[in-house]
Parts: sequence; C-alpha cells; structure tokens
Amino acid sequence: MTEAVVNSKPFQWTAKFLAKFGLSGRGLVIAVPTLWLLVFFLIPFIVVLKISFAEAMIARPPYSKLIEPTDSGFAINFSFLSYQYLVEDGLYLAAYGSSLRIAFFSTLFALLIGYPMAYFIARSSGQWRNILLMLVIMPFWTSFLLRVYAWIGILKGNGYINNLLLSLGIINEPLVMMQTDFAVYVGIVYTYLPFMILPLYANLVKLDGSLLEASSDLGAKPIMTFLTITLPLSLPGILAGCMLVFIPVVGEFVIPALLGGPDTNMIGRVLWDEFFRNRDWPTASAVAIIMLLVLVLPIMLLQKAQDGQNQDKSGI
Amino acid sequence: MSAQTQLAADEKPWRRAGEKPFIRINRLTKKFGEFVAVDDVSLDVYQSELFCLLGGSGSGKSTLLRMLAGFETPTSGTIEIDGQDMANIPSHDRPTNMMFQSYALFPHMSVEQNIAYGLKRDGVASSEVSDRVADMLSLVQMSDFGKRKPDQLSGGQRQRVALARSLIKRPKLLLLDEPLGALDKKLREETQFELIKIQESLGITFIVVTHDQEEAMTLATRIGVMNYGEIVQVGEPPEIYEYPTSRFVADFIGSVNMFEGRVKEDDKDYVRIASDEAGTDIHVGHGVSCAPDQKLWFAIRPEKLELRRKRPDGDFNILKGMVEDVAYMGNLSVFRIKLDSGKIVKATQSNRVRRDDEAISWDEEVYLTWDETAGVVLQS
Repeated sequence: MTEAVVNSKPFQWTAKFLAKFGLSGRGLVIAVPTLWLLVFFLIPFIVVLKISFAEAMIARPPYSKLIEPTDSGFAINFSFLSYQYLVEDGLYLAAYGSSLRIAFFSTLFALLIGYPMAYFIARSSGQWRNILLMLVIMPFWTSFLLRVYAWIGILKGNGYINNLLLSLGIINEPLVMMQTDFAVYVGIVYTYLPFMILPLYANLVKLDGSLLEASSDLGAKPIMTFLTITLPLSLPGILAGCMLVFIPVVGEFVIPALLGGPDTNMIGRVLWDEFFRNRDWPTASAVAIIMLLVLVLPIMLLQKAQDGQNQDKSGI
Repeated sequence: MSAQTQLAADEKPWRRAGEKPFIRINRLTKKFGEFVAVDDVSLDVYQSELFCLLGGSGSGKSTLLRMLAGFETPTSGTIEIDGQDMANIPSHDRPTNMMFQSYALFPHMSVEQNIAYGLKRDGVASSEVSDRVADMLSLVQMSDFGKRKPDQLSGGQRQRVALARSLIKRPKLLLLDEPLGALDKKLREETQFELIKIQESLGITFIVVTHDQEEAMTLATRIGVMNYGEIVQVGEPPEIYEYPTSRFVADFIGSVNMFEGRVKEDDKDYVRIASDEAGTDIHVGHGVSCAPDQKLWFAIRPEKLELRRKRPDGDFNILKGMVEDVAYMGNLSVFRIKLDSGKIVKATQSNRVRRDDEAISWDEEVYLTWDETAGVVLQS
C-alpha cells in the first residue's frame, strides 16, 4: 500500500520538485515544529528581550525605541536600567526567592503525596488501574479557575472545613486559612498533583516485578527493596514529575492571587503588577527574562545529567 | 512391572528406604481463582540433588518453584526445607535463592554490586563481601567484567552473573527457572556441563524448572514430569525415558510410536497384544498385570525399531509399510513409514557409513521389527 504510493508518479514528481529547494521528506517533517517554535516562541522571546533593554516612557507603546533614526543615521539606545532596578529594589529579589521557595516546597509536597499514589496505581490490577488514572485526570475536565474558586469555599472563615470543625466542637473560633501561604500551598499542590503522578506512574508501571522479587529473594526486607531498587530506578520519573511541577509553579500567578494574602509575594504577581498597574513594560520584560534564566539553568543541568546517564548505558 | 525394581540400592539417597528427604513437599495445591495451577503435589528432594521439574507451559512447574521461593502462598499443603516448615516465612527470610528466567539483574548496579547485594543485605563486613564477590566472579569466569553494567553484557555473561548472585549466599536450596532458556544451542550445551560442575563442587541442592527435555536429561539426577499441575512421574533420566508410566510421559520425553491394542494372551512371562493400528500381534517379553481383553497402548522409541527390506521370520512384532519420507539429520536419518493401516511410524538409523548407495529410500516397501523387550506397555 505505502509502497504503491511511494512508487506512484505524482509522489515522485512532488519529491523531485521539493528536492530542488533542498527539501526532503525528513526536512518537511521537522520543518513544521521548527516553524511553530520560531513563530510562537523564539520571535516573542526576542520581542520581550528587546523591550527589557528599553526605557519606560509615557507613549504608545510605553517604552523607548532601541534603534532611533537621527539626523546623521541611527542611534542605538541600550538601557540596562530595568535590570539595575531589579537588583537594587529588594522587592524583586524577595519575590524571586519567595517564588523559588514556594515552588520548591510545593514540588516536595506533590512528590511526597504523588509518589505513593503513582506507586499504588502502577501496582493495581488492569481494570482498577484505568479507573484510578481516570480519577487523576478527571479534574482537568473542569475549569482550573473554578477549581481554585472551590478551594476558597472550602478554606474561608465560614467555609466547609471551619463549619465542620466548629460543629464538632473541635475549635471555638474559625481558623484563618484563606490568604495565607498555607492556602497557596494547598491550591498549588492540588492543581499540580496530576503532573507529578502521571510521569511517576509511567515510570513505575514499567518497573519489572521480578527485580523486586529478586531483591526480596536475596534477603532484602520490603523497605530495603524500595530504597535500593524501586527508588533509584524511578529517579527519571521523579525528575520529570518535579520539573513539570516546579517550572510552572515558579511563574504561577492565578493561585497566589486568589488564595494568597498580601504578603504572598510571588514573581508572577510582581510581573502582573509591573505590566498592568505600573505600565512599566521594560521592567516587566526584565522580570520575565530573569525568571527564564533562573528556570533554564536547572533544566540544562538536568539534561546534561541525563545525557551523561544515557552515555553511561550505551558506552562500554 | 519392570526393571525399576531390579536396580540395586546404592549411593543414591532416593533409592534407599528410610532416607530423610531434604525438601519435603506435602500435598501442595495452588489455585488462582478457579484455576488449579498446582494440584496436590507431594515430592521429596534429597540433599545435593539436581532435581528437574519438566513440563510444558502452564503445567504448574514455575508456580511450584515460586512457592518454594516464597513468592506465592500455597492454597493448601506444606513445604519443609531441612526440617523447617516454610509456612509464614517470607521470601527474604528463606534459606533459598532463585535464579530468574529473565535473570532479573539490577540494571542500575554493576556486576559486582549485583553479586554483592545479597551479602550486603545480611550485613556482612565489606572486606568479606569483596573477597566473596571476587571468588564468585572467578567461579563463573567473569572476573574481568565486575565493573560493567548488566546491559553491557551478552546473554551468556548475564546468565553467569545471575548464577553468581544466586549462589553467593550459599543457599540451602537454589531454584533455577529455565536457567539456560535464553541461550543459543551451542552455549546452552556448554553451560549445562558447567552448571553440573558448579553444583557438584558446591554441594548445594538445585531444583531446576525447564520445558526442554534434553536439558532435563543432561542436568538432572532425577526428573519430575509435570502436567496440568500434577507430577505424573518422578525418576532418574533413563528411567523416565525407557520406562514411562503413562502415554503423556512417553510422548513428552523424546519421540515415540504408540499403538493401541487389546490383550490377546496374558501369561506370567509374556503378553500378546492384538493391534489393528500396527497390523501385527505385539509380543512383550514380560508379564503385565492386566485384565483379559483390556485396552492397552504399546510404546516404542524410533531408535529401537530395526528397518529391513526383507520380511523377517516369525509372526509377531513385524510392521509392513512404505517409506514416505526420509530426513537426513547428519548423525542419523529419520524414516517416516506409512503402514497399511494408515498410521505413520518413525524409525531412526544412525549413519555409520559416509555414503551408502544401498540405503533405503523413498517409496520402498520395508519391514520393521523389534526385540520383545524394546517397548513399553502403558495402561493410561
């Protein structure tokens, strides 16, 4: 069937025609995602990078031009003012620090909750496995915003938790949970848990049961088998899950805005304020660029580590 | 019934009455839901034996092995190893080790770490661990490969590492699940003898599961043939081959010609069986306890049939047929002969001459005959 298509005249003509422009089948396949990344990622990134080197001014758009025509040609106005501002004003550094801290602990909590869940799903029998996986994915069927709003109803002063505890007589006055870091952690861990569970599950389900039996056979108690066999072999899944949670949480805006208080100072919120309240596009851009650098570095280190591991496997 | 009883009692523990077995399996049953994987199996294995459990897939041999290792809990029955009841003893506390069919080497550990794993779990001092690992590596001739990861090894090398890992704790009982299954034929033959050598030098009791009857024949001190969860016959390899007790065993081990017949004459010293399938009377040179006119099967191995062009003298044990096919196997030739009844009989002849122009060939009319003690009478 495919052979017939490949050998047909029109196909051959098309291939020859494309070859004139240096395009092969493989080139075309790669061209689509390359084009996508170029248009929707690289170009916007360059625009943001450009704005970050400009100066804010009341104009439309609200920043200075990098290249300005003058009488005798062009003047290039590179300004590092926004970056300088980021370093000098403690607010921004504090926001980065607080974002990284919240992202780190949220990732840790998601891992501690997600690992046993993923392990349990991977070890359950076929039909149960599908049902449980479905339950993990199901929240995605409801709008993310609605789910975060629902948490407000659960956590607020006269919300479900407080009402339950009050009616049981466990507490005398409502607990303050809303607009605290606690609420932010709850919201983030709840929202991002599937992103931790799914890669962990994909890894753990491949784990060869005979390895666990071999470990037990050689005298390892279950906890020892977990520490020496299961855990090291699931490391790629752990890393993937942690990356999928950590990276978006650093830039998270909606959850801290809805559940957090005035002292929940995350970089996503700072960025929003710079952009929409202060209309300081260059500073907002600089914030975004720095955030990108902060995130890209660990990812690159991770990839390098993984490459090293792969080489370890293939090389003799 | 036969020569089994003529074998003199000697060194072999299973031939001595009153000898205490090392492993005692008593009425062991394992059910998975409605499916009975192991059905009321009782078996004694003696110290330093190399016992083979032989059976097709789904015969329950692996399940039996896994119950010995502690990976499956018996539905009923008991297992005793060296006088100790194994019920409620988890696999990590049993005096057994297992070599897995897939080898189950830990992919994230080097060969040395794999082999040392069992000792480390027992808290053996690290200096002793490295000494014993080195000993094991040299025993399986893998000393140069200690630092490698399992995926940098060939199948044969992995097999050796798996063996070393399962032997290092000096288990009372070593369980081997298709230990040579993943190796190619040549390597398998070499490894078989090495396995026997190692087993004899260490004196550890081995129970080997295999579906390969040749492997079982070569390795085993005794073979237990399994079918549908039951052990249908236990015996030394020649006993299993020459004196099968059922049609299943006769057919499963090696190839066999089977003739259905009825008892015609029953005497103390001989039996005559009339068989329409064979087209001749079958004379068996020993007594058989049976009822008159009882339905029986006569089994005879292809190599025990004598092939002739001329009709031999006598009026029994003579088959007549046409050569339908000759398969030249190198060391021997296999003849497929179609009898007048339509039944196909296999006969083999060893090729003692390099080129035989007189050799019996396609479409020739031939006669087959055999000695009166060459075959076996089966009642089930």
